[in-house]
Amino acid sequence: MAAVRPNSISTRIMLMNMVVSGVALLLACAGFFAYDQITFRQNLVRTLSAQAQIIGANSVSAILFNDPQAATVTLAGLSGSRNIASAGIFTQDGRLLAHYLRETGEDILTLPQLPRNDTEGHWFRTTHLILVRRITSEAKPVGYVYIRADLREIAARLRQYSLIAFTVLLVSLLAAALISSAFRRSVAQPIVQLAEAAKRISQNKDYTTRVTPVGGRNDEVTDLVNSFNEMLRELHKSHDELEQRVSERTHELLAANRELEAFSYSVSHDLRGPLDAINGFSYLLQSHYAAVQDEQARELVGNIRSSGKRMAELIEALLNLSRVTSSAMRLEWVDLSSVARSIIHELRRSAPDREVEFIAPDETDVYGDAQLLRVLMENLLRNAWKYTSRHETARIEFGAVREGGESTYFVRDDGTGFDPHSADRLFQPFQRLHSKSEFPGNGVGLATVRRIVHRHGGEVWAQGAVEKGATFYFKIPSLKNSATEGLRPGAQRAEVRNG
Amino acid sequence: MAKVIGPVGIREPALRKSAFIVAIVALCALYSSAQEARPTESQVEAVYLYNFGKFVTWPDRASQRELFGICILGKDPFGEVLDATVNGESVGGKQTKVQRLSNVEEAGSCSILFISAAEEKRLPTILAVAQRMNTLTVSDIPDFAERGGIIGLVKQKDRVRFEVNRKAAEQSHLVLSSELLKVALRVVGK
Repeated sequence: MAAVRPNSISTRIMLMNMVVSGVALLLACAGFFAYDQITFRQNLVRTLSAQAQIIGANSVSAILFNDPQAATVTLAGLSGSRNIASAGIFTQDGRLLAHYLRETGEDILTLPQLPRNDTEGHWFRTTHLILVRRITSEAKPVGYVYIRADLREIAARLRQYSLIAFTVLLVSLLAAALISSAFRRSVAQPIVQLAEAAKRISQNKDYTTRVTPVGGRNDEVTDLVNSFNEMLRELHKSHDELEQRVSERTHELLAANRELEAFSYSVSHDLRGPLDAINGFSYLLQSHYAAVQDEQARELVGNIRSSGKRMAELIEALLNLSRVTSSAMRLEWVDLSSVARSIIHELRRSAPDREVEFIAPDETDVYGDAQLLRVLMENLLRNAWKYTSRHETARIEFGAVREGGESTYFVRDDGTGFDPHSADRLFQPFQRLHSKSEFPGNGVGLATVRRIVHRHGGEVWAQGAVEKGATFYFKIPSLKNSATEGLRPGAQRAEVRNG
Repeated sequence: MAKVIGPVGIREPALRKSAFIVAIVALCALYSSAQEARPTESQVEAVYLYNFGKFVTWPDRASQRELFGICILGKDPFGEVLDATVNGESVGGKQTKVQRLSNVEEAGSCSILFISAAEEKRLPTILAVAQRMNTLTVSDIPDFAERGGIIGLVKQKDRVRFEVNRKAAEQSHLVLSSELLKVALRVVGK
């Protein structure tokens, strides 16, 4: 059994039992005591009344013949009643004829006024009960009996009762606790087991666990346990089915994808053979047989040569795209700033007469595949370089914006820009927003960019307007973030260098 | 010693308002006089005379008397006091009636006969007649009970008490209640 929790069902059941039995017992005790008090008082009054009657009947002659001694003797009979504190016989005019004091310290008797038509009256004081009865002779009042009874017995009874009630309460609470713990096994135990099983299952995701119903009883808890087990079976079944289906689908998809890639790769690759032949023979035609050709033929051969060259580029790009998708990733820290600078350096060398300003932070470390990231940066920077070529001067900027612990990188230019309505078409392969005559290109570059970013688990988007330049944003979430957290890029790089 | 509390409220029921006021005044007077002078000996004796009737049972033939006669033989020591005490009262359901006699032969209708001290010389005759008439004889003649009377009044330290002769009562076929014997100073003739 698990450690006792203050709010656990078994504790609550025990508490409930104890509270219920305690309250019931207290109420019963209170009721019984109240009943006892009432009957005790009634009996006391009745007893006193009977005694007063006897005293009264035996005191008539003493009153009529003014005989205090005889009255005193009559009163002395009261000494048998322990609770009578004092008594007296009064004549009709209120004179005390005789009195009886249980102890010498008792109060001086004072006769309360009896209502005119009553033979008898009684008054409950805090510590005493006073009873007065008229004495009659020949139907005429001749005097009064006064009896004062001590109520301290009631207080004593109260104390005694409280003690008994307290003892009984303690014993029954103990009994309730014992009985509860005996019942806990049959009532709370199955529920506790069920709760623990549910907790274990939700933690371990082990749907093979079953809860055993306790005993051969057929109650709600057993139903609950059975339903729970049934649900577990269902859950287990559908979980397994789902897993299996997902893995099947994944396999199918992977196979189809691989087939498709293999197909496109082999197509691109196989296309290269005949294309090389076309290019080679058209080169021979151009270089060795230029003399035997007229102007028109030379022009046609030139067209074949340039088309073939472009097709070769296209195939190369397609192969690159396919490689981007299929090559294994080797993750490390890469300084995108230095990658960008080297690319810009190459571009400047290829067009030394262009005036292009390039801005980049000193160091921009990104965790990813170095080769893919270089392809990514090359595509973006070449794009920027290309679409600023119409302007006299240009400005290309690479940077990073840090926002909420996440970096967004961007490549910005002040070139031709694009129509923002077509922004979503930018990253589709072979989709071009500008004609080939305007800007050369094969329409695969940004598609490659998108693939690389996606392979890194990031996203890419573009902002821009016609003649207002364009900005390409991308996010590269630190892959295996948890694994590399705490490792500074510098340390990681040093390790790579050492390796 | 004891306080008198509400004697007014505890008087007889059904008093009319005027009677009520009169009673208050009368009681106040009685109370104040009682403080100054206790009831006289003859007053007490008159009350006793009447009260004796409550503790005595007469034989059947005496019960045929229509009234409860309280008679005084010889010189009357009570005067108006007895009439005031007894008037309107009843004993055993019979109206009381005070009679003053000069001859014991007239005592036929008397339940109680008080024999004045002046009649001491003729006491044996009187007692013999009274016994035949089943009459309760009371007197303050010294040693009255010893001498064959039924109840003899005795003065003891300012208090009036009485002696009882049970034998005389039996001979008169009178039954004395034990309550009466209880308060008697002395019981003779056992």
